[in-house]
Amino acid sequence: MLAEVRSELVRLRRPRLLAAWFGLMGLFAVMVNMVMFSVVSSGTVLPPGAPGVSFPDAAALAGPDGLAAGLSAASTLFGVITLSFWATLTATDYSSGLVRLLVSAQPHRWRLLAGKVVALASVTAAATVAATIVNVLVAVPAAGAAGVPTSAWGTHPLSTIAAAGVNTFAALLVWGVIGLVLAVLSRSSAVAISVGVGYVLVVESIVKMAAGGNTDWLPGSTLTALARGGTVSLAYASAVGLALLYVTIGLGLAGAVFTRRDVTD
Amino acid sequence: MSVVVTTGLTRRFGPIIAVDRLSIDLPASGVIGLVGPNGAGKSTLIRMLLGLVRPTDGSATVLGIPVSSPARYASRVGALVESPAFVPALSARANLVSLARLRGLRLDRVDEVLSFVGLTGRDREPAKNFSLGMKQRLGIAAALLPDPELLILDEPTNGLDPAGIVEIRGLLRSLGQAGRTVIVSSHLLAEIEAMCDYVVVVRLGRLVFSGPMSELLARTRAHIDVCAEHDGDTDRLRAALTDAGWVVSAVDAVLRVASDATAAADLNRAAAAAGVTLSRLVVVQDSLEDIFLAMTGQPDGEPAAGRAAAHGEVA
Repeated sequence: MLAEVRSELVRLRRPRLLAAWFGLMGLFAVMVNMVMFSVVSSGTVLPPGAPGVSFPDAAALAGPDGLAAGLSAASTLFGVITLSFWATLTATDYSSGLVRLLVSAQPHRWRLLAGKVVALASVTAAATVAATIVNVLVAVPAAGAAGVPTSAWGTHPLSTIAAAGVNTFAALLVWGVIGLVLAVLSRSSAVAISVGVGYVLVVESIVKMAAGGNTDWLPGSTLTALARGGTVSLAYASAVGLALLYVTIGLGLAGAVFTRRDVTD
Repeated sequence: MSVVVTTGLTRRFGPIIAVDRLSIDLPASGVIGLVGPNGAGKSTLIRMLLGLVRPTDGSATVLGIPVSSPARYASRVGALVESPAFVPALSARANLVSLARLRGLRLDRVDEVLSFVGLTGRDREPAKNFSLGMKQRLGIAAALLPDPELLILDEPTNGLDPAGIVEIRGLLRSLGQAGRTVIVSSHLLAEIEAMCDYVVVVRLGRLVFSGPMSELLARTRAHIDVCAEHDGDTDRLRAALTDAGWVVSAVDAVLRVASDATAAADLNRAAAAAGVTLSRLVVVQDSLEDIFLAMTGQPDGEPAAGRAAAHGEVA
């Protein structure tokens, strides 16, 4: 499978593509940190259940995990970016006709798909590292400007950041796989992005409000819990387990469709 | 040895029959033309040979291996299916490197194929800046990457200027003469005639002809067009020629006599004996287009809408 990964990495080595991906991740890391510290320090209360971004309280920000709070707060936005890039880079293989060339060169379609997933995961990992670095660089001055005490941040800074980075990456992988699966199914980046982002940000919120009860196992809630290292309503281990389940089902579905469907694009 | 053998090969897309019980046996070596009107099923056949589309019925082998196992022959086959497809933002070289990596090939092969198609020097430019002709060359370069025994090219001269067409034609002929088998699909008959040793004609997914080009060309017939100097003599001329045993039909003011060039002198004498002076006597040899028209009923390669719809054509 190494050949498939290396081949995909060559196709991903596009300066503008990577600049857009990494730039958006960095931009959202800056924005979320600035807004988060500003909102929390001003005592503004955000409406509950609002999709997209949720902030910890002032006490949590001042705690040892405050340094990495921006990462988990921005995880949904990072997820949208990741889903969009994975979906676009998968769907354009169809719209450009590249899939014809790839499948005729490598008829083992599972290996092609696996190579794409590994290559996209590699870029996602690099983008997560970039966002993590930006988060650290921005969080300290943002906290200082907002008057949030940061003395506790020095307790375990490396492990705190590393754990937040790993959790964010894990959540982004699931977001990416959702984008890839939707792109394989729809062969359209617009449809994949609309359905994926629309479901997680809108549909799931409606479902949760309508269903009441425990809906924390739904994908959006699972990804939020995973990025935060677990929540009150969904433990970290459960979030990891559910995420693995979603990835397995998603890749299984994408693989089955990709290997069985005729290449007529 | 045969490079491609199909037996009753059929592909349906719902109610549409794109390839209909096609049985062909293509010889190894040389350039093979796959010709038919748009929508004849050429691209669907090529996709089935490459493992992109699965047959609904029938069987096929490529280099002796069933098309159900394309991985077993993929390294020996290069292909350009429909328009060349690349990552537009990447350079020509990077696109080829990506494919070379996928096929597990050494990277100096990229230089070889770039040189072969005449793109050395332009290889660092993004593929999106290429003209259609250059993209075709890049597509052919991609197909040549695995140094294939069998090269399958779908409309390889699309978008090329006349000089480019001649160049690609020469390139493909040289590949065929070097012992490779090149299958070229086209709806341009002149292209096929100039390039191919063997030809397969399909229409509405069905086989119309399969054999050496010489055999197809041997089917050409001739006729003689004659014209009386004065319009008023035309009827007299027609009667005289008919009485002499020729089959004569009128095409406007011209009389078309079903005969080859050997009858020209006799025709002239018969006209003179009838007291008619000819202003025109021309021996006309049928072209490949005429044969194709007779075989497929298509004047220009375009499927008649009614017939296509009734059969449900798919490219």
